[in-house]
Amino acid sequence: MKNPFIIYIIQRILQCIVVIFIGTTVTFVIPRLVPSTNPVETAIARAQMMGQYTDPKAVDEMRRVLKKLYGLEGTTFQQYIRYWGSVLRGDFGPSFSSFPTPVMTLIRVSLSWTAGLLLLTTILSWIIGTLLGGLAGYFSEKPWARILEIFTNAIRPIPYYIMALLMLILFSYVLPLFPRGGAFAIGLTPTFSWQFIRSVIIHAFLPALSLIVVGIGGWFQNMRVLVSNVIREDYVVYAETLNISPQDILYKYVIRNAALPQLTGLALQLGMIFSGALITEVVFNYPGLGFLLYTGILRGDYSLIMGITFFSIVAIAVGALIIDLLYPLFDPRVRYT
Amino acid sequence: MFNIIKDLFKFDGRFRFSIITLLCIILFSLLSFWSPYDPSSSYYVPSNIPPSAKYLFGTNSRGQDIFWMMTFAIKNSLIFGIITALLSRILSIFVGLISGYKGGIIDKVLMSINDSFIVLPLLPILILLKFIIGRMELTTLALVMAVFGWSWDARLIRSQVLSLRERDFTYTSVFSGMGTLKITFKEYFPFIIPIVLATTVNNMLWSLGMEITLAILGLSTVEIPTIGTTIYWANQHQALISGIWWWLTFPVIISIFLFLALYLLSVSLSEYLDPRLRIQQARV
Amino acid sequence: MKSSKAAFLLRLVLLILIASLVIPTTFSFSQEKGLEVAPGIPRSETLILEDPSGRSTNPGRFNLWGGGVSSWSTGLQQLALDALWYIDPDAGIEGKTWINSLAAEPPVYNKSFTKMTVKLRKGIYWSDGVEFTADDVVYTVKTLAAHPEMSWGAQMKVNVKDVSAPDKYTVVFDLTQPNSRFHTVFTVRWSGCYIMPKHIFEKQKDPVAFDFNPPVSLGPYVLKSYDSAGNWFLWERRQDWQRTTLGMYGMPAPKYVLYEAPGPAEKRVMAQLNHDLDVIHDIAPEGVVTLKKKNPTSVTWFDDFPWAHPDPTLPAVLLNHEKYPLNMKEVRWALTLAIDIVQVSLASYNGAATISAIEVPPTGHYLEWYFDPIQPWLEKFSIKVGGKAFYPYDSSIPSKIAEKAKNDLGYNVPTDPKEIKARLGYGWWKYAPDIAEKLLLSKGFKRDKNGKWLLPDGKPWKITILSEAEARPTMARAAATIAEQWRKFGIDAVHEPTDQVWTRTSYGDYDASLIWNVETWGGHPDLFWFLESWHSQYYRPSGQPIVAKNHMRWKNKRLDSIIDQLRRRSFDDPKCIDLGLEFIKLCVEEMPTIPLMSYNVFTVCDEYYWTGFPTAKDPYTDPVPNWANSKYMFVKIKPVKR
Repeated sequence: MKNPFIIYIIQRILQCIVVIFIGTTVTFVIPRLVPSTNPVETAIARAQMMGQYTDPKAVDEMRRVLKKLYGLEGTTFQQYIRYWGSVLRGDFGPSFSSFPTPVMTLIRVSLSWTAGLLLLTTILSWIIGTLLGGLAGYFSEKPWARILEIFTNAIRPIPYYIMALLMLILFSYVLPLFPRGGAFAIGLTPTFSWQFIRSVIIHAFLPALSLIVVGIGGWFQNMRVLVSNVIREDYVVYAETLNISPQDILYKYVIRNAALPQLTGLALQLGMIFSGALITEVVFNYPGLGFLLYTGILRGDYSLIMGITFFSIVAIAVGALIIDLLYPLFDPRVRYT
Repeated sequence: MFNIIKDLFKFDGRFRFSIITLLCIILFSLLSFWSPYDPSSSYYVPSNIPPSAKYLFGTNSRGQDIFWMMTFAIKNSLIFGIITALLSRILSIFVGLISGYKGGIIDKVLMSINDSFIVLPLLPILILLKFIIGRMELTTLALVMAVFGWSWDARLIRSQVLSLRERDFTYTSVFSGMGTLKITFKEYFPFIIPIVLATTVNNMLWSLGMEITLAILGLSTVEIPTIGTTIYWANQHQALISGIWWWLTFPVIISIFLFLALYLLSVSLSEYLDPRLRIQQARV
Repeated sequence: MKSSKAAFLLRLVLLILIASLVIPTTFSFSQEKGLEVAPGIPRSETLILEDPSGRSTNPGRFNLWGGGVSSWSTGLQQLALDALWYIDPDAGIEGKTWINSLAAEPPVYNKSFTKMTVKLRKGIYWSDGVEFTADDVVYTVKTLAAHPEMSWGAQMKVNVKDVSAPDKYTVVFDLTQPNSRFHTVFTVRWSGCYIMPKHIFEKQKDPVAFDFNPPVSLGPYVLKSYDSAGNWFLWERRQDWQRTTLGMYGMPAPKYVLYEAPGPAEKRVMAQLNHDLDVIHDIAPEGVVTLKKKNPTSVTWFDDFPWAHPDPTLPAVLLNHEKYPLNMKEVRWALTLAIDIVQVSLASYNGAATISAIEVPPTGHYLEWYFDPIQPWLEKFSIKVGGKAFYPYDSSIPSKIAEKAKNDLGYNVPTDPKEIKARLGYGWWKYAPDIAEKLLLSKGFKRDKNGKWLLPDGKPWKITILSEAEARPTMARAAATIAEQWRKFGIDAVHEPTDQVWTRTSYGDYDASLIWNVETWGGHPDLFWFLESWHSQYYRPSGQPIVAKNHMRWKNKRLDSIIDQLRRRSFDDPKCIDLGLEFIKLCVEEMPTIPLMSYNVFTVCDEYYWTGFPTAKDPYTDPVPNWANSKYMFVKIKPVKR
């Protein structure tokens, strides 16, 4: 039993590496295929837009120098090799649009906010959605389950942008309960004081609420379907005839088994945290990776794009790997040949 | 077949509701063929008139009749969502079933490809593709979304198949001499169908959500009315704070009804198609 | 019994939700409403402005010269840095548009424009107590010239042969070639080459990598704190504000200044309605209407329609002369006559646009320098169509726009024709699709059986018009309307909003683009700012990025001769205006781009805490907050007694 399992682990890890490799390569190549996101040109265009009177000869000179500075010399392949070299040394290079600030410096601040918010909302919406979905699936005949079902499904199609904006208007303007945006109050500096932490919580409430409300729907739906599958299993029917209490059946048998595919989804979703939540960040002025990534794309900031997406790719791939390895622990029926 | 539909209609309230709603929405979107106005033109009626007898859904700040704009928007969004969902279903079912049942090398290869698609950051790639392709038609976008939309569900189907594979009835079928394909498609399908139907609805929601996100960022063809571009234009004219609530309310309400109907339909269909449930209901 | 645990769970979830709603409200953030902006910073002593660049991705970097600073308008260029001269886009703080800031007087050139002497102002000190002297200027120029990748670096390298300081307050430039307008690099129009502090930068190994954090100010404010996530920057007035150039005019009233990135337009409106945002940079016209209706203290440049401040920039439809058939002037004229500018103005700006038929923006003093003198010529201008003369100019169009704005949208429009001219423009080209048709037919175009236009070689005529996307709604709305009008005319026209419009237009990857390349001083008639790069010696074909401002890739001998003559004249030579008028006439005949209107910015100021903002009645400077020129606002606004 041990030997084939170790072989399986090794194979799975190799698979993970291959996936990371393919993902990174694709994200490396595509921005370079788009001529209009050339970082040198966007830098010059921005300089011109800043209202400088740019002498035409001066512009030519700038072009020459910037190309050299950004390390965009050589063919794409040469740049690719150089890229892997520096990444494996932990160096993501300087950001082009914020040259010469290193990419990691830019990412660092946004990363902590994104990770904090999205970790919380992903896990919370998973728990609430899965639990409610399980309940609704098991007691599907009850009226309250039906109402819950309809309610969650009515919320899902509302475009997130509108939902977020409406929440903002309702709870920050019409009822001035929450601040309009930002991660914490103006003038505070990040410390471990209660004042700061309280400010963070208040500012994170609306963005988190909007994300959770929208996130619950998906997990709810999936869980409900999975549960309705499971309750028709023989062992459930058998347990019911044995007059085991419904709570026990629900928690010990039904939800445990139905939640397994959900766990896969959770792992993948957690990995996707690193892409940020662009619309949340725009509407609530919440500092995050989504906005950073978006501006990076517009400015043709290849190294920033690669830096952020690399984290994302690795996180998702590793998340899937871990879940696959742990799956047999949860479901003893699953065996790997 | 017809009898089945009649029965479902009579006995299952959800089926009734969803079929009627879906028919209404489809009829609504078909009305677009009789629209007196060209959807890409603007300022042909007075602006910002609230819903009234003359303008059922009111008019927007661009001087367009919202009722007729909605017929186009719903039609385009529907077609878009259906194309994406259908194409990605085919891919995900195929990959999920084969990969889950066969295992071994085939599983590894398919899952590597699958996971490569999952890890790709979708929004940046869509944005960049939009820059490369320029004016993307809605159908092109649907194809691209389909290519990215099958991987998550394939994994889900695969894990379901993994649990099914170790069940007794599988062994029975194998020992009885059933071929792989027959097992996967004939035996497993009824178990897979509820998930497929649920993921179809999920997928449509997801693809429409992406379309809306892209439109809000100004990245889709804004002259083609869809739910996303409606929000884009409403934003451009600051509809929410100007009090033009009817511009956004109607597309949102229609979307809600559409997805409620789709959801209830998927639930009632999966209950119907699940052979065990039918037997149970017959028992009762 | 069955559902008891389920019901319990449900109740628990509900409880959590309610608790989470109640608890924060007990900690309600009253400190952000009204009383304090931040701990220890009273609201009544703070001016809060919008930075339209949005969230700074790299907020810890203030080294403007080294590049990599995502937003210059965080207060950095407005309050902390200073330059030799400023040209005001409006009337100027003392009624004079030319302002000597760090320099004590205008630049002095030698006869051949190869030497420029600058006399600096005495008694100006950096915020760390070091005196500003000619050494700072020399250091700045030498450092920039040595690093062409720095902002203005390439300009210094190309133009400056040598720079020296014969005494503590004089700088002498030796230029590599005659350049009568070299001083414009140091003259602020939105921004300009600011002076670096020598005593700070010379200690650094790499002037490009140095972050200049915290910045040492030459202006009257120093950085107090900023958001590590890049959403706001707080500045505090210097104790020694008298030792700055702005201090000459008095004490800047706000003790604290906060520049923030407020987010989507809805939030800006909500913020000002709550009196949490004093100066909004720009919103759509609908937002302005809402604000004026709901907030009695909201103030705009024009107190009524059209509200907006006309910036000296000219959005126009740029046509790519390297794309057939746009190289023919008859075709360009036909496209112009197929545009109904009344409709475009209503769709994009709700009528609040200041239209311009000629190739200069209708703002500031340009009305008297260029628009008034050219009117008679425009009225008499004709194009020959089918043997007959057609007079395309229509000076009644602005009144038509005013009428429509009043009838369709219910706005309170001016009725005095002088007011209409000043606010809405002098006139535009007639909407004459029939004449446009004749022009096209005369060039061999044909209509197919569906009425769509075919090129002379038989292929259908397709045009894509680019514009910015949701960042600038007015431009996108204008481009959509123009595309629609061209479609009505029979051309297969499509509007494509894209954030890549600038790069694509620069590379020539476009047919038509609704952007702007004509940007002028506003307070000075010189057109060289954009015009020099239209000379054919700077021409770059499609596929290569353009040099500065000739996106349409227009080559013209008469244009070259005008530019050559301008080059030989000094900046203030009155003959430059005549040459400018010649340039305008040439552009009317050739229609290289289709001018539309001035860039009207809907800057809205709230007079709840502060009063005295510049308006059309008192146009002492430009209120648009991301302009460095807006610094002059700070010495004239006064707190409101509450």
